[in-house]
Amino acid sequence: MQDIETTEGIVVPGEEHAEGGLPQMNAETYASQLFWLVLTFGFLLVVLSKVALPKIGSVIAARKDRITGDLETAERLRKEASDALAAYESALASARGRATTLADEKRKTVNAEMDRLKAAADAQTQTALTEAEARIEETRKRAAGHVQQVASEAAADIVERLIGEKVSSADALQAVQSIRG
Amino acid sequence: MAAGPMEQFAVHPIIPLEIGGVDVSFTNASLWMVIVVATITLLLTMAMSKSSMVPSRLQSLAEISYTFIADMIRSSAGTEGLKFFPFIFALFMFVLFSNMLGLLPFQLITGGAFHQFTVTSHIIVTLALALTVFAMVIVVGIAKHGFRFLTLFVPHVPWYMLPILTPIEIISFLSRPISLSVRLFANMLAGHTMLVVFGSFVVGLAAAGGALSALSVIPMLVIIGVTALEFLVAFLQAYVFAILTSIYLNDALHLHDH
Repeated sequence: MQDIETTEGIVVPGEEHAEGGLPQMNAETYASQLFWLVLTFGFLLVVLSKVALPKIGSVIAARKDRITGDLETAERLRKEASDALAAYESALASARGRATTLADEKRKTVNAEMDRLKAAADAQTQTALTEAEARIEETRKRAAGHVQQVASEAAADIVERLIGEKVSSADALQAVQSIRG
Repeated sequence: MAAGPMEQFAVHPIIPLEIGGVDVSFTNASLWMVIVVATITLLLTMAMSKSSMVPSRLQSLAEISYTFIADMIRSSAGTEGLKFFPFIFALFMFVLFSNMLGLLPFQLITGGAFHQFTVTSHIIVTLALALTVFAMVIVVGIAKHGFRFLTLFVPHVPWYMLPILTPIEIISFLSRPISLSVRLFANMLAGHTMLVVFGSFVVGLAAAGGALSALSVIPMLVIIGVTALEFLVAFLQAYVFAILTSIYLNDALHLHDH
């Protein structure tokens, strides 16, 4: 039917340019250009929106997620490391504190023991001293008693020889004591 | 045939085809649309075929373009604009690869057997893309704000300025699809025309013989510079197309309250 007209309707190259017109202004090509533009651009739009772009988008999103995930893991590990460091430092500090306390306590007990021993030794020494002093005093007293007796006997002898009179030992002792005051 | 500077934009049928009385022949323009879409699809599929945590070069290229467009939308239209990410990404890639592939000298490589063609150098293509964006902005705006969408044309100014500024806002809104499409089309048209014009200078001077042949080096150097510039323009225009689309979408999504 219209098939015969078809061949006549086709643009023959050269004819239009012979008139000096722009090929772009040849309206006979418009229908064909629009038809194929709709087909090709429509195809491109479908392929891009259904296949290509979702794929590119998902790869970019996956990479973004991966990077975010890796950064989060790194942050978590960093936090764990710093927590471990903090725990180590606090353990170190408490150990140091305990060591100081222990040393203090030991020093105190040692000091107390030393004080106690020293006090005991002092007390022993004091006792020995007191005893020794007491002994010396007793010895001195005894010696002094002997001296009086010897002196009174000597005095009685001397009186008997001088005046021939017998003096009792009690009187002589009394006389010696009164002289010594 | 005498290859004028406009010859490169000609559309030739390859496979004649008609549907419902309308000529929809598979032309060299259609072929290049297919090449553009196939290249994008193949590149992205290959890039992500062995998607790994540590990306290959191709994979990071795909990922960079993904984040580039996503960030662009997020900064100009907010997170709400990301709903339109596949569309804007497709738009950016389509325009970018059309622009870039049209710059590759297939004609030279194949000895004239196969001509490169820039899909986006045709106003009908860029206008169709721009009108799609325009229609989308209106649909999104009305779907989201209903009648309040019309406040887009009422700028925050003293009331007595409104009679002047509201028509300006309406005109600027309506001219968006035109400026969006003409900007891309004209850039491609001008760049490619310039390349061919300087190319014909090289050939002409070289054929002139004598001292003039030596002068053909000058337009050759210009071509090298212009080609480098055109690659920049090719990227820039794709970026401009995509960012303007997100800015227009931002208007529809957030009206004036951004």
